[in-house]
Amino acid sequence: MSALGRQRWWIMRTLALPVHILVFALLAFFLVRLMPGDPVLNFLSDGAASPEDYARVEAALGLDGTLLEQFGRYLVGLAQFDMGNSITSGRPVVDELMLRFPITLQLTVVGLVVTIAAAFAGSYVAAVAPTSIIGRGIRVYARTAGAIPDFVLGVVSIFLFYVLLRIAPPPVGLVGAVETLPEPVTGFSLIDAALVGDWHITGSILAHLALPVLVLVLGYSPLIMKILIISLDEAVDAPSTRFRISTGASRGTVIASIMRRAAPPAVVICGMLFGGLLGGSIVLDQLFSLGGVGQFAVASINANDFPVLQGFLVLTAAVSLVVYLLVDVVNMTLDPRRRPGMVVA
Amino acid sequence: MTLRLAGPAGDAAVAAPAARPRPRWSTYLIFLPAALLAVLAIVGPYITPYDPTRVVGGAAIAPNATYWFGTDSAGMDVFSRTIAAARVDVLIATVVTLGATLGGILIGMFAGMGESHGGLRGLIARGTSRVLDLADAVPLIVIAMVIVAMFGATELSLSIVLTIVLIPGPARLTRAETLRVRGEAYLDAARIGGMRESKLSLRHVLPNAAIPAVENMSVVFGIAVAIAAALGFLGVGIAPPTPEWGSMVSRGTSDLISGRWWSAVFPAVFLGAAIVAVAVAGGAAVRRLRN
Repeated sequence: MSALGRQRWWIMRTLALPVHILVFALLAFFLVRLMPGDPVLNFLSDGAASPEDYARVEAALGLDGTLLEQFGRYLVGLAQFDMGNSITSGRPVVDELMLRFPITLQLTVVGLVVTIAAAFAGSYVAAVAPTSIIGRGIRVYARTAGAIPDFVLGVVSIFLFYVLLRIAPPPVGLVGAVETLPEPVTGFSLIDAALVGDWHITGSILAHLALPVLVLVLGYSPLIMKILIISLDEAVDAPSTRFRISTGASRGTVIASIMRRAAPPAVVICGMLFGGLLGGSIVLDQLFSLGGVGQFAVASINANDFPVLQGFLVLTAAVSLVVYLLVDVVNMTLDPRRRPGMVVA
Repeated sequence: MTLRLAGPAGDAAVAAPAARPRPRWSTYLIFLPAALLAVLAIVGPYITPYDPTRVVGGAAIAPNATYWFGTDSAGMDVFSRTIAAARVDVLIATVVTLGATLGGILIGMFAGMGESHGGLRGLIARGTSRVLDLADAVPLIVIAMVIVAMFGATELSLSIVLTIVLIPGPARLTRAETLRVRGEAYLDAARIGGMRESKLSLRHVLPNAAIPAVENMSVVFGIAVAIAAALGFLGVGIAPPTPEWGSMVSRGTSDLISGRWWSAVFPAVFLGAAIVAVAVAGGAAVRRLRN
């Protein structure tokens, strides 16, 4: 096998990425054109629109010319990261989304890290102390709580921690009413605040992120724990564990060995979790008024701003697919049997 | 698990499955919450103390003997609306669960049976499998949100969109099971017996490959309720004043932040409880059928 041939699996997988994104771009393109009624009139809902207005909106939506022309323009634009302009603000859709995407992404990434940590800690307790009250509680929670919507957990946690206990800051925005967010450098407000050394604001952002992150942990850790507890139970019972105990290995060694054998299926789930968490962050963005892409999408829906919605769909899909690709490649690096075209003897 | 096979109890279970004692009535209690939800979905709109779509009193009255769950910011009775709201989400989720499971089974079987074929059929089947994998990566709520925003939200359009969005789950389960079933000896036996390939798929592959997707129905139901309500919460679902848990929570959020918690918390708790009830009942039913 040539050197290139050995690397084929990840090169092919990476080359497939633009094709995958294109699937969602096509979906976005045809959705606007399959809409019941006329999207232009839908936008100009106040009724008496002059022909000039009609032509202007039609052009703004990219709906002028034949379908083939429209499609050509759409693809050329897409290749240059141009998804048209927002009808409401007139600014490029990509700029508008890029301004807000980091806010949502920040919540997603922080949520992902804490969720994975909490899920591993919780599963560890459930596996090591399966008959304790906490262990049983975690098992029941992992089995039943996986499908509770994020905004339900969000409303209940706002009620508990803000309205009743008064320990959370008001669930509106990333900072308090009299505080201002740092000048965007990276767009990720936590990093920006830390870069200028403003620890007061950094702390405030962390405090405001605490509830949404808690909600993501409560909502998504059961998905990992359900898988991890099962494989931990199997690993605890396996001959390898008995062998280590019988040779007098320390408790730490035994637990490390159990974790190492039980982790792979959970790692796969952790990678797939990103898409779910991103969706959760988009919903929580609206609940906690964080100013991210979720709130923007809801506002665009109410304004019938279809170019923004198209961009929102394609950009969300692209981000999810890039992460999915990274996870896939990492998994295939760790476990060559997952590579495409591999024949397991 | 390994211990059970070796123990005397395991031997007895293997030797005399017919002699298994009838489960006590209390073991059926686990299905009670889901049954209550079903009853609520059917009779809910008829047993409300007030009209769930009308202003019945002052705005934002705290829960009391007259208005059990208080009134919302418009002056509608939260208890009546919460009870009546069970219908919309449960109805949509039921239709979606049946549609997505059936569609998923058919698509999954097609992909599983066709994958090793040559020509166009194999190409389409392999392409279908790839698309099913992709659907995993992108958040369902975003796809559903954009489609519903463009096509409008009626009970019918929501059901169709959610069915399409939720098909990949059961389809992937069925595809994996089809790949396993395809190697079974009874298929070769049927082929040797002269059964045509199409009849073979229907008679032998379908009933066996469909099992995981059928077992997964309560999960699909939970996700369908969750997404239908989440769309309502984001303002793209069934529009008020039709009582729907998600839009009720959404309209109650600003009240909640100013301390008037009842108009958001009650529908949120009912929605969460409904999803957990179905998940618990579904899990219990699967365990019962497997034993």
